[in-house]
Amino acid sequence: MPGGSPTSRRGDGYEFVELRGYVPGDDVRRIDWAATARSGELQTRIVLEDVGLTLAGILDDSPSMQVGRRRPLLGAAREALRLWYEVAEPEDRCVRVIGKALAPTSGLRGAPSAAAALGAGGSFELQQSLETARSALRAGTALLAIGDWFDLRDDADELLYVLARRYDCTALLARDPWFDGFALSGIVRMRGAEGGTLRAYVGKQEQARYEQAVRRREAQLLRRFALAGWRTGVLEESRGAASLAAAFGVRLAKAG
Amino acid sequence: MTLLHPLRFALALLIAAALVFLYTTLLRRKTAHDLAYSSIAFFAAAVQPRRWIPQLLDAGWMLALLALAFALGGVRLTAPMPVRDGAVFICIDTSGSMATTDVSPTRAAAALNAARAFIEESAPGTRIGLISFSAGASMIQPLSSDHALVEAALGQIPPPNGATAIGDALRLAASALPESGHRLIVLVTDGVNNTGVDPLEVAEWLGTQHIPVYTIGIGTPNGGYIPGSEDEATIDEGALREYAQVSGGAYARAEDATQLHDALARLGRVTSFAKQRVDATEGFTVAGVALLVVTFLTGLGLGRFG
Repeated sequence: MPGGSPTSRRGDGYEFVELRGYVPGDDVRRIDWAATARSGELQTRIVLEDVGLTLAGILDDSPSMQVGRRRPLLGAAREALRLWYEVAEPEDRCVRVIGKALAPTSGLRGAPSAAAALGAGGSFELQQSLETARSALRAGTALLAIGDWFDLRDDADELLYVLARRYDCTALLARDPWFDGFALSGIVRMRGAEGGTLRAYVGKQEQARYEQAVRRREAQLLRRFALAGWRTGVLEESRGAASLAAAFGVRLAKAG
Repeated sequence: MTLLHPLRFALALLIAAALVFLYTTLLRRKTAHDLAYSSIAFFAAAVQPRRWIPQLLDAGWMLALLALAFALGGVRLTAPMPVRDGAVFICIDTSGSMATTDVSPTRAAAALNAARAFIEESAPGTRIGLISFSAGASMIQPLSSDHALVEAALGQIPPPNGATAIGDALRLAASALPESGHRLIVLVTDGVNNTGVDPLEVAEWLGTQHIPVYTIGIGTPNGGYIPGSEDEATIDEGALREYAQVSGGAYARAEDATQLHDALARLGRVTSFAKQRVDATEGFTVAGVALLVVTFLTGLGLGRFG
C-alpha cells in the first residue's frame, strides 16, 4: 500500500499494490499484459517490496527422528523450531520447507504464519527440501534446518554452500541418543526407524566402536556444514530450544 | 536312518515348528530390550557387531529340538558296530621264502608286526586265532577273545623254513572256526602253494560257508633270493587274488613293512566291525538335552536370549 507500513516500500516484491500506466524505465517484467490488453495502454504492476524477514525451517520429521532415549528426538527438534519462529516480528514471514512445498502458502505473517508453519505437515525428503529452499526462498532468508542428516548425500556440499551464500543458514544436528554410551549389551535386537532389523551380539568391543563412530560422524557432519558456511549446533534430546539458542551463543534462562 | 515311531516324530516336528514360530514371533514383538535406532545401516557399518553369535544360538535351539524330535520318534541308525561273535584266523606263512629281506627286516618279521597291528585294531571281543604254515599247518593259538594272549602267541610262530601249504592252512582254519557267526580268515603269504591240498578248492568251500579269505601278498616286484638257496622268492598274485575272490574276501599287495602293517591294521578295523541298526534314542536324547542346556546357559551368559 502506498505510504503503508514502515516495513513495506514500493519496489521488487510479491505483494500486489496497484496498476498504473507504463513509465519509461519501468521493469518490462512488471508489465501486466492482460491489463494492457484491456486498457489499450501499457500497464505496470506495482508491488510492495517485502522488507520483513523470512524465517524458514526445514524439519526432518522422518521416522529416524522418532527415536530417542527418553523421548523422540523430534520432540526436541519441534521445540527448537518453535523457538525459531517465536522470534518472528509481526511483519516477518515464517515458512516450512517440506519436500517440494512451502507452507503456509498464504501471505500470513508474524505469529499466525509461525503457527501455520509449525503445524504444517507433508512428506519430508531432505534433498528435495534443500533444493526447494534454494529455488523458492528470498535472498536473505534465515534458514534453520534440523535433522539427524542420515540422508544427507555425499555430493550435497555444493548445495549447502549455495544455500549459505544466499541465506543465513543454521544447521542443528540431532545428537545420537546414545552418544554417551550404547544402552544395551549382550544379544541386542535393533529395529531401524526407517526399516530393517538387526540382531547381534554387542560387547565392550562393539560399544567402544559405537562411541567412536557416533562421535566421528557428528564431528564430520558439523565440519561439513561449517565448511559450507553454515552456523552449526547440536540438538540434544533433552534440550530442544536450548540447543538452538546455544548454536547462536545464547544461553536460555530455562532449558528446554 | 529309520524311525520306530514316525508319527511321534512328525508330531514332535510339528511341536518344534510351533516353538520356532513362537520364538520368531517373540523376536518380532517389541519388548523393553528392543532398541529402535535411526539407521541400522550406520550401526551395522560402524560397529560391525557379531551377528553370528545369535545365529549360533538359534542353530543350537533348532538342533536341540530336532535331536529331541528324533529321540521321540525312536531313531534307529545304521552304524559300524563291533562284531560280538566275530572269529578270525590269521594264517601266517613261515615258509623259507619269508626269510627274504626285500621287506625290512624280513618278510617274516614284517608279517608278525603287521599281525600284531591287526590284533590291536580289532574290536574288543573279537575272537582271534593264529595258524602258521610252511610244509604243513600248525595251530599256534586257538580262537580267543583275549587279545593280549593272542599277541603273546605271535612269539611262538616258528622261523621261516620249508615249503608253502596254503591249502592246509585254510583247511585248518576252517575246521577251527565256529559253525556260524561273523567268520573270516586272513592269509599272509609271500609265495606259491607248492604242497598240501588245493587252496582254491578250500577257498571255494569257504565261500559257500560265507567265510571270506582276505589275502595279503608280501614282497617287492623284484622279489629276491631265498637266503641259503638259489631259489627266487616269487609270489603268485593271480592265485591269491582268486582265493580272495571265490571266498568273498579281498586281496592286497604289501611291498614294504609299512604297507603290510597298514593293510592288516585296516583289515583289523574293517573286519571286526559290521554295519548294524542300533537304537540311537538315548544318544539323541542326551545330545538334545545337552544342546538345550548349553544353548540356554550360553544365552544366559551373553546377557539375554535375544
